[in-house]
Amino acid sequence: MHLQQVRDIVSEVLALGPAGQQLRRESALLGSIPELDSMAVVQLIAALEEYFGMQVDDDEISAATFATLGSLADFIEHKVAA
Amino acid sequence: MKPAATAAAPARGFFLGSGAAARYGLYYAPAGRCRGAYQYVAPFAEEMNKARRMAALQARAMSAAGYAVLCLDLHGCGDSAGDFADARWEGWLDDLARGALWLRQQLGDALPQAPGLWGLRMGALLALDYAKRCAEAPADLLLWQPVLSGSSALTQFLRLKVVGDMLAGGAGQPGGTAALRSALGAGSALEIAGYTLAPALALAIDALDAGQLAPPCPVRWFELASQPGQPLTPAANRAIGAWQADGVQVSAWSLAGPQFWATQEISTSPALLAASAAALREDCHAS
Repeated sequence: MHLQQVRDIVSEVLALGPAGQQLRRESALLGSIPELDSMAVVQLIAALEEYFGMQVDDDEISAATFATLGSLADFIEHKVAA
Repeated sequence: MKPAATAAAPARGFFLGSGAAARYGLYYAPAGRCRGAYQYVAPFAEEMNKARRMAALQARAMSAAGYAVLCLDLHGCGDSAGDFADARWEGWLDDLARGALWLRQQLGDALPQAPGLWGLRMGALLALDYAKRCAEAPADLLLWQPVLSGSSALTQFLRLKVVGDMLAGGAGQPGGTAALRSALGAGSALEIAGYTLAPALALAIDALDAGQLAPPCPVRWFELASQPGQPLTPAANRAIGAWQADGVQVSAWSLAGPQFWATQEISTSPALLAASAAALREDCHAS
């Protein structure tokens, strides 16, 4: 449900340009997008927190959450619904 | 012949003091009659590096508009004496006081009012704390995307370590940022993203809240958003509201542009430069 917004935010934070819109639900993020270093992950979390008005807890910052665009969107879905 | 005085002179690098007290400064002399002076207060850690281009562009624009600008590299920030591990919040406040004194001596009677401060992100929070504590109030503050809560900013910085550990394939930082905060509280320095963070510096930052630092001078506040015409963030409105209740004169702008202090590639925000220049021009007409 939030896939498009999450795609836009990922794309904007990582400055992926038009390539960002090519990201699919199953597209791998961590380990696949070189721009996604620790600083970018922190920024991405902050941008998601601000946009969706929620707080990400430390123990939710895991490799599984950032595995794919879909896993990240599912996580946001779960946070926003909570 | 038209005087060449209106063209901005190139910036001049120099050291203020020597030995452990040496601070590297970059001075932009005012073109023509001096309309005022500003000290640039850079953001924290890596944001300082990412923002160098914008800082230089703005300093040049201010210099061309008749303002003297001093960009002083604070204690332990790379070009000055000391390592980042030695840096303390109070030391940075002292550096700003030295910078203000230097500007006064440099400009003498040509300086029409006390030097102001132009701060970006954490630099804005440092400028606010300085304005509140210093003997001579700055003429005004120019704040770019101020960090409002030292505690949130510290959490963001500590997260770099949590995320770094995650990326390294570890199980993550046990206890996350809360555990890192306790380590700082117990007096341990932390190594984060190439910076050694001293407990004293971290705890000083942790305690700061912009809303409680109503400055003794007018403020011009600039925020960047992804779309033009956005309202200010609720957090900004809260801080500004608290200051206005204390009688502080605040003008604020929200502009569209990249968060250049954090973008992957070095980026600039022409809208922010233009709005800052326009705000300074208004001063000229008023005076």
